[in-house]
Amino acid sequence: MNVIHFPVYIMLILLATAVLIPLIASKRFKSSVKEFIMGAFVVSWLLSFTTLRHVMSNGAYTYSFGNWSQKIGIQFLVDEFSSFMTLIILTVAFLVIIYSLKDMEHEIKDYQFSSYYTLIFLLLFSMVGLTITNDMFNMYVFMEILSITSCGIISIKHKKENFLAAMRYLILSAIGSLSVLLGIALLYMVTGHLNMFEVSNVISQVWQSYPTNILVSLGFMVSGFAIKAAVFPLHIWLPDAHSSAPTPSSALLSGLVVKVYIFAVAKILYRIIGVEIVDALGIPTYLTYFAALGMIMGSVFAIGQKDIKRMLAYSSVAQIGYIFMGLGLATVQGFSAALFHIVSHALLKTALFLSAGAIIYQKDKRDLRELNGIGYEMPITMMVFTIAAFGMIGIPGINGFMSKIYLSLAVIDVKKYVYLLIILISSFLNAMYYLPIIISAFLKESEDRKNIMVMDKLPKTMIYPMVIVALGCILMGFFPQIIMNVIERAVPSFLLIGK
Amino acid sequence: MEIFKAIIEHINYIAAATLFVIGLYTVLTHSNLLKKVIGINIMETSIFLFFVSIGYVSGGGSPIISLGGERQIFINPVPSALILTGIVVAVSITAYSLSLIIKLHETYGTIDMDEIMELRGEKN
Repeated sequence: MNVIHFPVYIMLILLATAVLIPLIASKRFKSSVKEFIMGAFVVSWLLSFTTLRHVMSNGAYTYSFGNWSQKIGIQFLVDEFSSFMTLIILTVAFLVIIYSLKDMEHEIKDYQFSSYYTLIFLLLFSMVGLTITNDMFNMYVFMEILSITSCGIISIKHKKENFLAAMRYLILSAIGSLSVLLGIALLYMVTGHLNMFEVSNVISQVWQSYPTNILVSLGFMVSGFAIKAAVFPLHIWLPDAHSSAPTPSSALLSGLVVKVYIFAVAKILYRIIGVEIVDALGIPTYLTYFAALGMIMGSVFAIGQKDIKRMLAYSSVAQIGYIFMGLGLATVQGFSAALFHIVSHALLKTALFLSAGAIIYQKDKRDLRELNGIGYEMPITMMVFTIAAFGMIGIPGINGFMSKIYLSLAVIDVKKYVYLLIILISSFLNAMYYLPIIISAFLKESEDRKNIMVMDKLPKTMIYPMVIVALGCILMGFFPQIIMNVIERAVPSFLLIGK
Repeated sequence: MEIFKAIIEHINYIAAATLFVIGLYTVLTHSNLLKKVIGINIMETSIFLFFVSIGYVSGGGSPIISLGGERQIFINPVPSALILTGIVVAVSITAYSLSLIIKLHETYGTIDMDEIMELRGEKN
């Protein structure tokens, strides 16, 4: 077996599974179908792990489909960044899907299961494709698949709010992807290529002749991706969509889908256009302004929320601010901090959403004021929630602390001390809305029962994924070098290309 | 006269930009969901027009060598091929949003965004 084909196999397996699930599933969703899904998943995870190991030892390579030259054919770029992020996507999604097998029974009807998993696999297919592709139009196509499927996994729960949230998300993300397409068209006008390498070659030679064209095209692309990645003033679709969706969908949407668009915007800014040109046009500076605004305002909005999932959704807006802050610094340290925070936020937010979903599953409570004493009824769930919430606040020993350290060091490095203050304020605001939940869960007495410790009444397939994610957070907090070693090798492919 | 000449030469791009703005305006200002979907479609069409115009070479024939006749210059076929994919994507977005509108009409009894927001406000 030749390892260079593995990324394509991963995508083929995901796509084929998506098509096969409705064919083999009869009306009832039998356990054999579940085994089939998990089997397909394990195979693609192993393939992605092998790809990462291959890339780490042998270096990056490009994969041209049908051996067409890169000027006309579609090309995949399998480097440290894309193979590592593929592995992260598949790992988090694997845990979420194990969790979803039981949790979804609560949320949707039996006959919808096969369509739900079809959507999930198409979603993963497009996320992996968006991460790994090296062709701009191909990126657009994957983006559209991603936006339709992510609306699909919201609206699959047949409730009023879900339809409305999906409709809003669909309209806004259609506007977003159309602006991205217009940006791609403007870049194509300047360069005559769609392959990212070719485009960046041409642009580095001719950008001084077409600064307006590139600026307009970047404006369209960055604002399009900003809508999809929910950067602060354009985040209005996110709270509705992420809070009304079924729990596994919210975990996937908040933990992974938003991040994939950030990969795409990073590729466009730093790989296609190049850091010097982007700096000369002044785009990263504006990104940091909006990021700083989002870090504060996302947390301020989260403080006022009563619904636990809505609060987590607003907290995502703030965390995306951290990531864009790192991107906007346009230095090696800032970019590594952003990538580190992408991974750590994926884990933390997944843990938070899964534990919130477990509370909804067992107690059917979504209101933050009804959670008194719940730490004694669901100790494992609330421990997971506590670990992840501490990570969000930035308590040492959990990965959220490490990403804040990296980000702060990067900010100090470029001498923008105001942002240091903003990171600090944002952390305090995080504490303001996460700590009351933990306090009321463990220290207050519930109204209808005494605080006697009992174990969670949850199925094992729901407990294990949560615990594994929480352990992953702690592991990443104590040994950040595991992740950082890979990221440090991935960053130069973005920022140091011309140097 | 220079301006008129420039306008006529770039009429495709001007039309595309105008359509894009019309579409965006429709999506953002109308509260009727069907009109919003139509606005998205207008935006899509404008970008398709823009993309295809990039590939046009004045006086060029269709890029099929044996059927091109005497012509020596051909238009760039890549944007047209891309737009075929773009049209498929646009149709699927439209289909999905129309089905969502049907569901919204079933649950709320209206397809007007303002009225839906009022209904939600009363409930809260």
